[in-house]
Amino acid sequence: MELWPLRYLGTLWSYSWRWQKRRLSTWVVTAAVLGVVLSVAAAVQLVVWLGERSLAGQLQSASEMQVFLDDGATPDQQAALRTRLAAVPGVSRVDYRSKAQAAARAARDPQLAPLAGASQGNPFPASFVLQMQNPGVAPHVLRSVAGDPALDPKIPASYTAAQAQSLNSALGAMKFVAGALDAVALGVGAVVALALLRAEVRARRDELRILTLVGVPRAVIRVPLLFQVLSLAVTGSALAVASLLYIGRHVIPAIDASLPFLRLGDPSPAFATLSVATLAASCLALIPCALLVRLPR
Amino acid sequence: MIPDWEDARADETVGRGEIRLTDVSVGYDNGTILDRMTLEVERGEFLCVEGPSGAGKTTLLRLLYGSLPPRSGTAVVDGVDLVQLRPRHVSRFRRRLGCVFQSYELLPHLTARENVLLPLQLAQMAIDVPEERASDALEAVGLSDKAHSLPAQLSGGQQQRVAIARAIAHEPAILLADEPTGNLDPVATAEVMKAFEVFHEQGGTVIMATHDEALRDNYARRVIRIDPRAA
Repeated sequence: MELWPLRYLGTLWSYSWRWQKRRLSTWVVTAAVLGVVLSVAAAVQLVVWLGERSLAGQLQSASEMQVFLDDGATPDQQAALRTRLAAVPGVSRVDYRSKAQAAARAARDPQLAPLAGASQGNPFPASFVLQMQNPGVAPHVLRSVAGDPALDPKIPASYTAAQAQSLNSALGAMKFVAGALDAVALGVGAVVALALLRAEVRARRDELRILTLVGVPRAVIRVPLLFQVLSLAVTGSALAVASLLYIGRHVIPAIDASLPFLRLGDPSPAFATLSVATLAASCLALIPCALLVRLPR
Repeated sequence: MIPDWEDARADETVGRGEIRLTDVSVGYDNGTILDRMTLEVERGEFLCVEGPSGAGKTTLLRLLYGSLPPRSGTAVVDGVDLVQLRPRHVSRFRRRLGCVFQSYELLPHLTARENVLLPLQLAQMAIDVPEERASDALEAVGLSDKAHSLPAQLSGGQQQRVAIARAIAHEPAILLADEPTGNLDPVATAEVMKAFEVFHEQGGTVIMATHDEALRDNYARRVIRIDPRAA
C-alpha cells in the first residue's frame, strides 16, 4: 500500500511516454528546431563570454594610469602630490617611476623607441603610476590633482576620462545585445513549444474530453504536456551543448589561429556554466507553456 | 467565503446513491432549459428520463455529473451539494459517479481493458489493485474475452458495454446514462441493458435518459417526463 505513490508516478510516466510516442515525428521536428534556436543562443553567450574576458584584460591594463611630473617639481611637491593621489577613492596603489626608468621602458616599446633614440637627453618625464580599481576612477584623479604645481602642465596624465567611459560602454552594450539575443531566442523557443502543445491538444481533443468526463483531474491531464516540454527542453539543450562544444573546440581555435589579435583564448572554462544556464533557461521558458495551454472543457 | 470540498460533500441529509433537486434551474448562455425542477431519487432506483429532443434530458444529466452548475435552487447528488461545488473539485466529484454516453467515448488506440484501466490508474490514485478492478468490471459486462480488443474490433453493443465497465469499475453508487442504446440494434440493446440490470441489482442507482419507449417499459422502475420549459 505504501508503494502506491511510486506506482502512480510510474503510471503517469508510462501514460506520458505513450502519449508522446504516438506523435514522435512532430516531437522530433520541434526538438530539432528548438535545438537550433538554443544553439544560437548558447553560441552568442559563448562569444560574449570570450569578448567579456578579452575586454576585462584590456580594462585591467587600462586601469593603470600615469600622472606625469614637471621636471622642476621639488621632492616636497612630489611627496604632497603622491599623498593626494593615494587619498583618491578607487586608487589602490601609487608607485614612482623616474625619468631614467621611463626612458628605459620607452626604449623597449616599439612605438616609442625611435623617439628615444632620436632625442638628445631624456625627453620622458618622471611619473606616478596609479593602479585604479577601474578606469572610471580616472576622472576623479584628474579633478583632485588639477593645478598641482608638481604636475607636468602640458600633459598631466596618460589617460582621459573619455577612454575609460568608452571601454565601459562597449562592455555594457555587448552584455545588453547578448541578453536581448538570448531573450529573443528563448521567446522563439517558447513559441515553437507552445505551437507544438496546441497542436497536440487539438489532435487529442477527444481523448482529453473523455478523460475529463470520466473524472481524471485536470492537473493529471496536463502531466503529459509537462513531460513533453521537459523532454523538449532537455533534448534542445543537449543539442545546444553539443553545438557549443563543437564551436569551442574547433571554431574558436580556428578564429584564434587566423585572427590572433582577437585573443579569444580557451573557451572550455565556460562550457559547464553555459550548459547549465541553457538547460535552466529553456526549462523556465517552456514549462509555463505546459501550464498555460488551454485544455478542452 | 467559498466552501471547500469538505463543505460541498457534507450534506448528510442526502445519502450515498441518492439525488435531491429542489427548484433547480439550469441553462446555457442562450436561456434556461430546466426551470425550477424538483426531483428525488432514492438509492437503488432505476429511473428513466424521457422527453422529446431538446426538452432537457441531456441538460439534466450534465447537471447531475457536475458539467453545468445550477443557476438557482438546491442540488445534492450522492451527498455532494452541487451549488457549493468548486470547479476544481468537479473531477473528484465525477469519480463518485459512473457516466455512459450515446457515442461510447472510448479511446480508439487503447484496448478494452486499457480503456477501463486508464481512468482508474490516472484518477483513482489510492486504489491498490486497479488491474483487478478493470478485469472484474469487464467480467461483469460479459466481455472478459474481449479485454485485448481495440474498440474498432468490437461491435457497437460491445463498445457500449466496455464504456459501462469503465463507468462501474470504481464502484460508484450512481450510474448516469445518456441515450446509451441510441446507436444500437435490438440485440445489442438487450446486451447493454443487461449490464445496467446487473449494476442495478447490486444496489446501484441508475438514471437513464432515453426516448426509446420499449426500453422505458421493459426496464425502468420509475419514469419521469421532461417537456421543454415545463419541468
